Amino acid sequence: MEKTIREYQKLFENPDNVGYDGNEKFIIGGAYWNDVAPKENLLNIIASVYDSPGESSGLNKLPALDLTDGPMFYQTAGEKKEALLNMPSRDLSDKQKNYWRSKSSKVETPLQYGYHKGWEIIINSFELLMFALLAVCITIAPVFSGEYQARTDAVILSGKYGKTKLATAKITASVLFGTLAFTLHVLVALGLTLGAFGTEGWNLPLQIAGAAIPYPFTFLQAVVIGLGAVYLVLLAMIGLTLLLSAKMKSPYLVLTVLLPVLFLPLFLSPNGTGGAYNLTLFLLPYRAVMPEFDKYISYQAGGLVLDALTMRVILYTVLTAVLLPLAKLSFRRHQAV
Amino acid sequence: MQLQLQNLCRQYGTKCAVNHVNANLSPGVYGLLGANGAGKTTLMRMICGVLKPTSGSIRLDGKPIDELGEQYYSRLGYMPQDFGFYPDFTAWEFMLYMAAVKGLDRKTAKDRTERLLHLVNLQEAAGKKIKSYSGGMKQRLGIAQAELNHPSILILDEPTAGLDPKERIRFRNLISDFAREKIVILSTHIVSDVSYIADYILMMKGGQFLLGEPMNTVTDHIRGKVWELLADNREIGEYSRRFAVVNLHHENDMVRLRIISDAPPAPDARPAEPSLEDLFLYHFGENAQNERSDDNVDKI
Repeated sequence: MEKTIREYQKLFENPDNVGYDGNEKFIIGGAYWNDVAPKENLLNIIASVYDSPGESSGLNKLPALDLTDGPMFYQTAGEKKEALLNMPSRDLSDKQKNYWRSKSSKVETPLQYGYHKGWEIIINSFELLMFALLAVCITIAPVFSGEYQARTDAVILSGKYGKTKLATAKITASVLFGTLAFTLHVLVALGLTLGAFGTEGWNLPLQIAGAAIPYPFTFLQAVVIGLGAVYLVLLAMIGLTLLLSAKMKSPYLVLTVLLPVLFLPLFLSPNGTGGAYNLTLFLLPYRAVMPEFDKYISYQAGGLVLDALTMRVILYTVLTAVLLPLAKLSFRRHQAV
Repeated sequence: MQLQLQNLCRQYGTKCAVNHVNANLSPGVYGLLGANGAGKTTLMRMICGVLKPTSGSIRLDGKPIDELGEQYYSRLGYMPQDFGFYPDFTAWEFMLYMAAVKGLDRKTAKDRTERLLHLVNLQEAAGKKIKSYSGGMKQRLGIAQAELNHPSILILDEPTAGLDPKERIRFRNLISDFAREKIVILSTHIVSDVSYIADYILMMKGGQFLLGEPMNTVTDHIRGKVWELLADNREIGEYSRRFAVVNLHHENDMVRLRIISDAPPAPDARPAEPSLEDLFLYHFGENAQNERSDDNVDKI
């Protein structure tokens, strides 16, 4: 790492390599293409550690970095994490800070660096899965309400299994279809990205995409865990869609409720990582499909501290467990007026 | 087997669609008559368990149908009024789907589907999508699905609505065939349909049973109140204003009128044998006459 920084600093010794825009100096021309561009990602990761929390100065701090005692990369990264935890805007309790310190301490150093472009793109594109989720919800919206709209409700509800096995079969089929269709979307999305950028980097630590990330995961682990949470969001949204479908007279009405639930958070920006507004926002479906590994979002109830991922897992598991049986019950109790 | 309706009520807001209905129904064909809005469909939906009574209970052999659950529904066949189909299903697929909902195994489902589609004369159209069917074909498919599980309680809500006379006759015979050893409740406002096949007549008005009598004695109530007379063409208006005129038939320059009245409408009026149509008009008065005006003559 020290060698990499020194090589970068050395480029600035030749004035022909240096450009200046009146504000900052940077490497230009052949020196940039030959010596900076191939390892710009690595340089950015290294440089980001020396930025203060909330600051993003690119590579500007590297030329003047004092390397007398070495780069002190891990020490600086630790200090930055500590600074992040102590930011007043985060409003973290001591228990929450300890929770993150404990998690962070499990990150193994030194970090191994390597090519990981495909995995980084995947992790940064999780929110696009919302469209696959929406497609699933649109498809299953008529499962019950379509029967009411087509006026077939009276005849099937008076059948032997109309209120029992049929309702269960409809829910099971919806969950199976939703899961399979969503998996197809996921496979296409992962396949295209990894096909284009390669699968290399799956076993590299997540920290090479952001040194302040406190989770001790590799890229593959992060993607699997992130997808696991998204699947739970999917199941809960299938449950919500089916409940609305069992309650409402047409699939269009179902969508008028569902669309705001799914996409209203798109227009709501977090103004921090603490407070009821932000903590709620990070649990809503649109935000919940984003892994946000570097946000330090935590929830505390008494002595118990949970991170956003765990909260989402609990919340969406509970929602699924409640909404699916409620959908069945609502269909059973439907009145064919 | 006995189906008991005990103090059955269904309210929509402040309107009482079915108002404290009591009945004990044993096997037989029950013609349920009443003007539009009398509560027939609401009553049938409650019997079929797809509409919850506001109060009261429905029992099969003493047990509430809610408690019987699948046991009750397995004995039920229901053809709702104006119910929908899956337009992209063929009749064959629809029947198999309904057979699955009714809990029939595959072989039985196929056998009965084949037999019933043949019975309702849809065997040649069985492979066509239902969206291409005429109203009459859909009605026939409706009764076929109701009979799939050989129900012991068969509820048919306006099964002959929209059928031409030939289809209605075919339908009546079909229902008679299906009706053996069953409780069949047949709602209609086409009086002639029930007069041929019903064993009992139930008349509803304002959400209540107005009367419930065996078919062969139901018209006794109005014996001596149905009259026929020959009148001059110019007198029609006057008679129509003063009496319930069931029928008029032009004979040369005169008109033969059939009138319902407690007293003879004219000195030369002769008492006539009362029919179910006369009874209906006797009880439903203007409502029934209004319905007649936009339908054919034997439809009340």
